Amino acid sequence: MHLGMVIDLKRCVGCQACTIACKSENGTPPGVLFTKVLDQVAGEYPIVKKKFVPVLCNHCQDAPCVRVCPTGATTKREDGLVLVDHDKCVGCRACYVACPYKNRVFLKKGALKTGYFGGNQMTPFEKAKYPKWQEGTVVKCTFCVERVDQGLDPSCVQTCPADARIFGDLSDPNSKVSRLIRQRGGYQPQPENNTEPSVYYLE
Amino acid sequence: MAQALFKQKDYWVKSACKMCIHSCAIRVHVQDGVVVKIEGDPNDVNNRGKLCPKGQSGIMRLYDPNRVKTPLKRTNPEKGPGVDPKWQPISWDEALDIVATRLKKIRQEDPRKLLVSINDFHRIHLWGWGAMFGSFNYFSTVGQYCGAAYHPVNGTLDGSFAAVNDYAYCNYWIQIGGGDGFSSHLHVAGSIKRMAEARVDRGMKVVVVEPRMSTGAAKADEWVPILPGTDRAFVLGMVHVLLHELNIYDAEFLKIHTNGPYLIGPDGYFVRDPESQKPFVWDAVAGAAKVFDDPSIEDFALEGNYTVNGVKCRPSFQVIKDTLKDHTPERMSKICTVPADTIRRIAKEFGEAARIGSTIVIEGKEYPYRPAAVNYYRGAIGHVDGGLDSAALKLINIIIGNIDVPGGHIGVGLDHRLLLVEPGPDGMLLPQPHILHPPYPFAGKPYSFQLMEWYPIGIDPGHLSADNVLNPEKWGFDFKPEALIIEHSNPMWNLSATDKVMEVFRRLDFIVAIDVVLNESTEWADIVLPDHTYLESHLLVDIEPPVITGHVYRRPVIEPLYDSRDASDILTDLAERIGFLPEWNGLMNIKLFLTGEYQLELNKKYTNLEMMDRMARSIYGPDKGLDWFQENGHATRYQKPEEMYLPWKGHRIPLYFNFFKEVGDDLKKKTEEAGLDWDTSSYLPIPVWRDTHPLHNLPGEYDLYAFAFKETLLNFSESTTIPWINEAMNNIPIHMGVLINTKTAKAKGIKNGDRIRVQSPFGEVIGMASVIEEIHPQVIGMSNGISRWANHPVEKKTNTHFNRLLPADVKWTDGMTGHLETSTKVKITKI
Repeated sequence: MHLGMVIDLKRCVGCQACTIACKSENGTPPGVLFTKVLDQVAGEYPIVKKKFVPVLCNHCQDAPCVRVCPTGATTKREDGLVLVDHDKCVGCRACYVACPYKNRVFLKKGALKTGYFGGNQMTPFEKAKYPKWQEGTVVKCTFCVERVDQGLDPSCVQTCPADARIFGDLSDPNSKVSRLIRQRGGYQPQPENNTEPSVYYLE
Repeated sequence: MAQALFKQKDYWVKSACKMCIHSCAIRVHVQDGVVVKIEGDPNDVNNRGKLCPKGQSGIMRLYDPNRVKTPLKRTNPEKGPGVDPKWQPISWDEALDIVATRLKKIRQEDPRKLLVSINDFHRIHLWGWGAMFGSFNYFSTVGQYCGAAYHPVNGTLDGSFAAVNDYAYCNYWIQIGGGDGFSSHLHVAGSIKRMAEARVDRGMKVVVVEPRMSTGAAKADEWVPILPGTDRAFVLGMVHVLLHELNIYDAEFLKIHTNGPYLIGPDGYFVRDPESQKPFVWDAVAGAAKVFDDPSIEDFALEGNYTVNGVKCRPSFQVIKDTLKDHTPERMSKICTVPADTIRRIAKEFGEAARIGSTIVIEGKEYPYRPAAVNYYRGAIGHVDGGLDSAALKLINIIIGNIDVPGGHIGVGLDHRLLLVEPGPDGMLLPQPHILHPPYPFAGKPYSFQLMEWYPIGIDPGHLSADNVLNPEKWGFDFKPEALIIEHSNPMWNLSATDKVMEVFRRLDFIVAIDVVLNESTEWADIVLPDHTYLESHLLVDIEPPVITGHVYRRPVIEPLYDSRDASDILTDLAERIGFLPEWNGLMNIKLFLTGEYQLELNKKYTNLEMMDRMARSIYGPDKGLDWFQENGHATRYQKPEEMYLPWKGHRIPLYFNFFKEVGDDLKKKTEEAGLDWDTSSYLPIPVWRDTHPLHNLPGEYDLYAFAFKETLLNFSESTTIPWINEAMNNIPIHMGVLINTKTAKAKGIKNGDRIRVQSPFGEVIGMASVIEEIHPQVIGMSNGISRWANHPVEKKTNTHFNRLLPADVKWTDGMTGHLETSTKVKITKI
């Protein structure tokens, strides 16, 4: 089992439903976006191309973050998910520096004190969600591990109106993700990093 | 039942979204009494589990600490932008008492002194509260943001309220000034899904015509940049190519299903049989005029010049062809800037993709198959002459025979009634321009500040109200407003000529607002009455779903957090206290489709919950009250093929918009008799380009066109008070500043991030330059995301509000439909 995600750039309309679904599923504090969609423009008027490119932790199979973590907080599970054990993380940020995709965020001291509306106006939602995070640790996309462990798709996949994100078993040649990668020439982001990302893009 | 649910520690509950004007089905996860997740309902046929970013962010509206938590009374008499009203919480009884006493007095003196801004699109049944009070004023707008020039033309064509191309069968989709399937308009989550399936899985070709590279244009096979307010020229150029150069049109369709063969006399009216008064057509085989429904007709002539009973006449198709003879691609190109060759090529691709003559069998029935269609929305028609824009966009579809057939341009009903198909005169469908509410009867002396009485097929030009309040002598108003009631609306933001609107707010003695979170308008209120959020209230809702019909059921997912009440109950309570409960209940009987034993007794007070239950039973049967919906969730289903395709029951639709001419001529007569100087010249049966358009005749110093836009994150602009939405927008360059093309910026010495002054002939704003490639060099664009200035702590107080640049008077309003001109011209300078 090697879980991964295929992102179909032809389908994606850059609506940011994934970005917000991730906020709601994970209850991450302000400034922390485990996923977002970048607008990329190339060319000169009137020959212009605009692409919407969703980015998230690539759950690399040869992950520099795993290699550099001095405490063993960041590990790769058997199913390929790269996860951070916040109890073991000491916040040294070696992984943050090592990640070639810059998809990790360090939760500063105080990051969990205020919530989105500032002051002492923490919402009941934030009060319910923040205990799963720890200040002084590094956080990132988990492929919604709690959902995945229940057999569900990650939240960004579940909500995507365009079905631009597909989640599945990359080691199964008959899975939808494997078929899409084969049929449409799926590619990993920045393959020159040699990190074997579990995220593939389709043009 | 609800109480038992709320006692559970962990549950999912179905409900309906309200983070935009449509109504996707959702399911909500509650743990320990806290809403922790909202998802699309995977079992609903409409959005099929999908939800857009606005819907995903509903949690942060529910738990916004800035919500109105109790009734509030202003203690600071000073009002203005940024001023703290110094709210004092008061009891419901005191608040309702203050409001009712005040409004009762006005109602007794002269109800027209109340301005009304009741605008929730999910609760259209509440809109008539003002009319039942006795005031016909409308101090807000929906028409400017959706389609004053859109809906009446849809209703006149085929009894629809909206329209969208056929996601399931279309192969060549031209989109002009609209976000269907990509970013906005009808049920965006389900529409994005259907569009992605058509584009990627079926290989449908998409061409998007827009001044700016919108989401749709970015995803399209081809982006065609165009000047704002010139889409009609582009489309009429295409019609010219199809009719005069390529000879591509669906003759069969026009003969059988439209008034294309009806003979038109020199006066522009049907030539009629003197005895039966039925319109004549020309039988090409018999070589004689016959009434349109004569069973002996062998071939309806679409072309030719004839003389019938001494009257020279032509089939309406021929009249249209002749009228548009001078709308050559070369001439149209000069107006819209799209090269003539491009107009020709796209017209050819479109005409060929229509596969005229082909048919398709769906569920055992054969239909014409026309898998090419032009879809459009507010960007294309939100203009002076917008009715003609809309008619031109229908015309290009009608001539290839794609209206309401598989693959084509499909009417969408406002609600579960679907298209309103009723027999009209002359073998045609009855025109339905007034699906939202009945027309205002004409009067020589105006009685509504928005002058709706002089827009007989228009939709509520609320943008005219401020001008008429401030200049009552212009049209002879002999009353002035004293008070304003606002429910789910933000007239200070949504009405253009913002400074004039603010001046009206200043002059009002009393403002009452029903709201969830205060906005630019409601923070000027004297009394605020807190509404429930959608996650705390009941409603059966069904707004403009394409492909699908039925109702989704919005229900409380938790106990209300604060001392709020449902706006419906608040308005009922006020109606009772002020003294017009019977009128109010009578309106509810009509607007909630209540029948038989479920009709309200006029003198009895009903709760919103009781009314919704009666509505459910009236529409779905005695055993389908709210209990059924609580058990089963939603009552949505796919429309049947016979509901979507050729639903006209044998009646013809217009090719020649005779109805517009008839209404215009009637209005001309009435206004002349009343001694009014009122322009009815846009009530034309055939859309043409008119060089008189004021937008294109502004002084040359205003060298750039300007327009506003939104994308999926934005519900107009109100979702910008949600921090998740704001944070996501901060990563997107198009929501940062005033969009200017690189070359234009360079020529003006403007760099990315510079502060610039944007001046139109009507107002100015300050903003930050956002220099990009993907916009027409003669145009600037402004996201609604940079428009806000309310006290709410979350939204960016950039106040680069496009509406300040717009005029708002009769000259800048489409005569036929009441649509405001939503583009303007500007000059920009670096500060």
